[in-house]
Amino acid sequence: MARKEDHIISLGVISKILIPFIQLYSYYVLAHGDLGPGGGFQGGVILGSSIILYVLAFGEEEGRKLVSQKFNDIFSSVGVLVYAGVGILCLIAGGAYLEYSKFPLDHHLAHHLGMYGVEIGVQITVSAVMTTLFFETARKDDETFESKKKKKMEPSNLKSS
Amino acid sequence: MIEIIDVFLLFFIVVCSVAAIFLKDLLSAIIILAAFSFLMAVEWTVLNAVDVAFTEAAVGAGITSVLLIATLSRTKRYEEQVNVPKEFAPVVHKGISTKIMPIVVVVITGAVLLYGTIDMPAFEDPNAPINKHVAPTYIHDADHEAGSINIVTAILANYRGYDTLGETTVIFAAGICVVVLLRREKWPEKKIT
Amino acid sequence: MRFLQHLPVLVILIPLISAVVIPVIGRVNRFACWIVSCVALFFSLSGSIYLLNKVANTGKVTYHLGGWKPPWGIEYSIDHLNGFVITVIAFIAFVVAFYAEKSVEHEIEERKIPAFYSIYMLLITGLMGIVITGDIFNLYVFLEISSLAGYALVALGKHRNALVASFNYLIFGTIAGTFILIGIGYIYMQTGTLNIADLRERLPEFYNSTVILTAFAFFTVGLCLKVALFPLHFWLPKVYNYSPSVVSSIMAAVGTKVGLYVMLRVMFTVFKVEFSVENVPIANILIIISSIAIVVGSILAIAQTKIKLMLAYSSIGQVGYIVLGATLTNQIAMTGSIIHILNHALMKGSLFLIVGCLVYKAGIERIDDLEGMGKRMPFTMAAFTVSGLSMIGVPLTVGFVSKWHIAIGALDAGMWYFVPVLIISSLLTAVYFWRIIEKIYFYEEPALLHEDRRVNININWDRREKRENFGDRRINLERRSEFKGTRRKNKEDRRRQLDKQWQPLEQWDEHGRWEVVKNDRRVSEEDRRQFMPDRRSLEGIGRRTRDYNLALIKRGEAPWTMLAPTLVLSGACIFFGIAAKIPVAIAEKAAAMLLR
Repeated sequence: MARKEDHIISLGVISKILIPFIQLYSYYVLAHGDLGPGGGFQGGVILGSSIILYVLAFGEEEGRKLVSQKFNDIFSSVGVLVYAGVGILCLIAGGAYLEYSKFPLDHHLAHHLGMYGVEIGVQITVSAVMTTLFFETARKDDETFESKKKKKMEPSNLKSS
Repeated sequence: MIEIIDVFLLFFIVVCSVAAIFLKDLLSAIIILAAFSFLMAVEWTVLNAVDVAFTEAAVGAGITSVLLIATLSRTKRYEEQVNVPKEFAPVVHKGISTKIMPIVVVVITGAVLLYGTIDMPAFEDPNAPINKHVAPTYIHDADHEAGSINIVTAILANYRGYDTLGETTVIFAAGICVVVLLRREKWPEKKIT
Repeated sequence: MRFLQHLPVLVILIPLISAVVIPVIGRVNRFACWIVSCVALFFSLSGSIYLLNKVANTGKVTYHLGGWKPPWGIEYSIDHLNGFVITVIAFIAFVVAFYAEKSVEHEIEERKIPAFYSIYMLLITGLMGIVITGDIFNLYVFLEISSLAGYALVALGKHRNALVASFNYLIFGTIAGTFILIGIGYIYMQTGTLNIADLRERLPEFYNSTVILTAFAFFTVGLCLKVALFPLHFWLPKVYNYSPSVVSSIMAAVGTKVGLYVMLRVMFTVFKVEFSVENVPIANILIIISSIAIVVGSILAIAQTKIKLMLAYSSIGQVGYIVLGATLTNQIAMTGSIIHILNHALMKGSLFLIVGCLVYKAGIERIDDLEGMGKRMPFTMAAFTVSGLSMIGVPLTVGFVSKWHIAIGALDAGMWYFVPVLIISSLLTAVYFWRIIEKIYFYEEPALLHEDRRVNININWDRREKRENFGDRRINLERRSEFKGTRRKNKEDRRRQLDKQWQPLEQWDEHGRWEVVKNDRRVSEEDRRQFMPDRRSLEGIGRRTRDYNLALIKRGEAPWTMLAPTLVLSGACIFFGIAAKIPVAIAEKAAAMLLR
């Protein structure tokens, strides 16, 4: 068996090679939703899993440096807001809610842009929520990045059973 | 030929789900569920539902397993009997009733579902109502009316875009529910007076 | 004018957006969360009143989302029935949200408050979205939002068992949701459409198809589970009991009502009356089940010792009223059933808000502890009396209006034998409410007000040290309650007194609950866990709850932000009892529409 350090190094190196491709693929899936299978939801899941892979390879502390709790929380809201916002833009443009054709653009382009807008919203929320779910459900040792900052433990940390 | 593949897939799907129920080792159960999801994804592909297959593979076989294992890291690997507060006992207590009742309920539900299939229009029947009413318009108009060659995307993001907004909200709700129940740090991080 | 034209979607969208924005706002200011949710719900309330008014004047209002025509896109269609129900939801939701600030501060950990408001708004969005939509799959999507929010809200309860209750609710709620989804899938398979109006037209030719029969069976069972109709009610009492007061109010007032609305829609709009009554005997079965539910719910309510549990069981009976009124398939009874959606929301909302006031101010959860509360909290108790009388069905209150309509409807349909059921259940209701009203006004208040017993009123959850002490102090607290009325003036005396009181503690060993190590103020690990496992079991177990809670009793009313909504709801119980014409007129039209 390889030593522990070797294992971590190879895991880290391979993840670092893979992660950009996974993320690129997630945007491919998002952008090609109207041509082949895929879309915001799948793209979001793939993006989220790339971040989860990073956390698995480098630990929670490093992961939190990449995407902080605040970042995650805000972006899970932002995605829905983007989606709802596209609908409100349609209202402002004079159509019904989510009626993309009322954008002052070419008919086809308007639909394209509207659909991309909402898919991006879906992707943001899904990836942020998936990352959040992983961070919240995975076990934390008491010496993690977050709790190091505070010396005192939270009461709910004491016994979760 | 395709029928043979179908039968094999369905057989293994059933085997996987039964195995996942009876395994006491939860980690194995999760792995088997991942296999189940993957077989489902293949089955969706066989049924020509490529988008669903893609989602099933990414979500069911991929990220759900990771999340379940993450959850397992916080609990225990093997199933054990826990003491449930007395007032909840009728639902969870051990004994014959809890072993037989679920089976009875499941068998009845399954029987009713099977009964429903008697008059069901055949799969891929071009004259079935499902293919006659709204579907032709979607197929015909999705490209020039809704701006997407992929009809599924056209329906999800355009024709029924509002449903997708609802689904996105469901995801958001799931996130915030998990945060409110499981997060042990201060939330939000900053101390606020 | 263009703004008003988009009102149907904005009524749903504004709470949804606020739900999403609140967690972000909560990072800056917690108070703002409350303001935002109140403002959003006020907007929804005024919007839905406007819509209801428009529907009453000009008829059905429709809105095509995305500009797609109905069978292809999603349609919002508002008629008398859902205009009415959505106004009820918005009204109760606004009142409860206004009430929430202080109550939530008291019952939920501070760091969770922004998330609480966010999930609350998601719940309301879901409930309103279910009601307003004219598309059956869209209905399911919003059902999912509201259920998910409901599970989390229940789990926020302080008691440890709240998590188990929530888990229970999650399992049954998910089963119900799955059944409804199977129903939708089967219907779609046979008709190829999801639009409710379109379904109504296309379904009759398939009425004898097994697919449709199966779909209807799944709908019925799923919805019965969702509304907690009698044999499937077991999840409900625990949920109401363990959730925070605000949550039990909103769930009891409008949570199950939405399920009932969906039931009416499916039975009488998606399927025609002929189908629900003649093709399948489900209406007849439901009549019998609901009359059993009415009686059993009332009897179980009498047996309870906790106020919330009593109200929960009474809700099970009240759900029976609505189902009974609907399945009599008589226009007057149906009117009664629809008004009862409003009436029961007002009564139960008010009662649960009162329980919230009691918990906030006095920590009271048990019926026995209400002795003499009439003097301590006169306004709250007056509101309780009014709502209680209304539940009994005294004339000039809302309870009377709906019971009257259902009884007349039963006579009109030639089913006089349901009138005794109504009368018996009213008498049983009178029994359990009179028991409380008697305690409130005709009993002396117990001499339990005691300075020493307030030791631990303000426990700071963020500090571990205090919690460490808590176990010991808690025991002091328990013991002292056995020596009522002993009040020491200076601290040393008090301590001596406490030390003396440690003596009898060892006697408790016989009951297997205590193990005191040589008078050393240490208890066994197991008991320690019983008393200080985590914040959820603050309430302790069984009788001890009472001792602790009484320590919190202070004279006077709850703060006005809590008292005012309570009084508004109980006042509405009388207002709509006297001015019954307004809701009755709308309900009559809705009933005629359902039974056409």
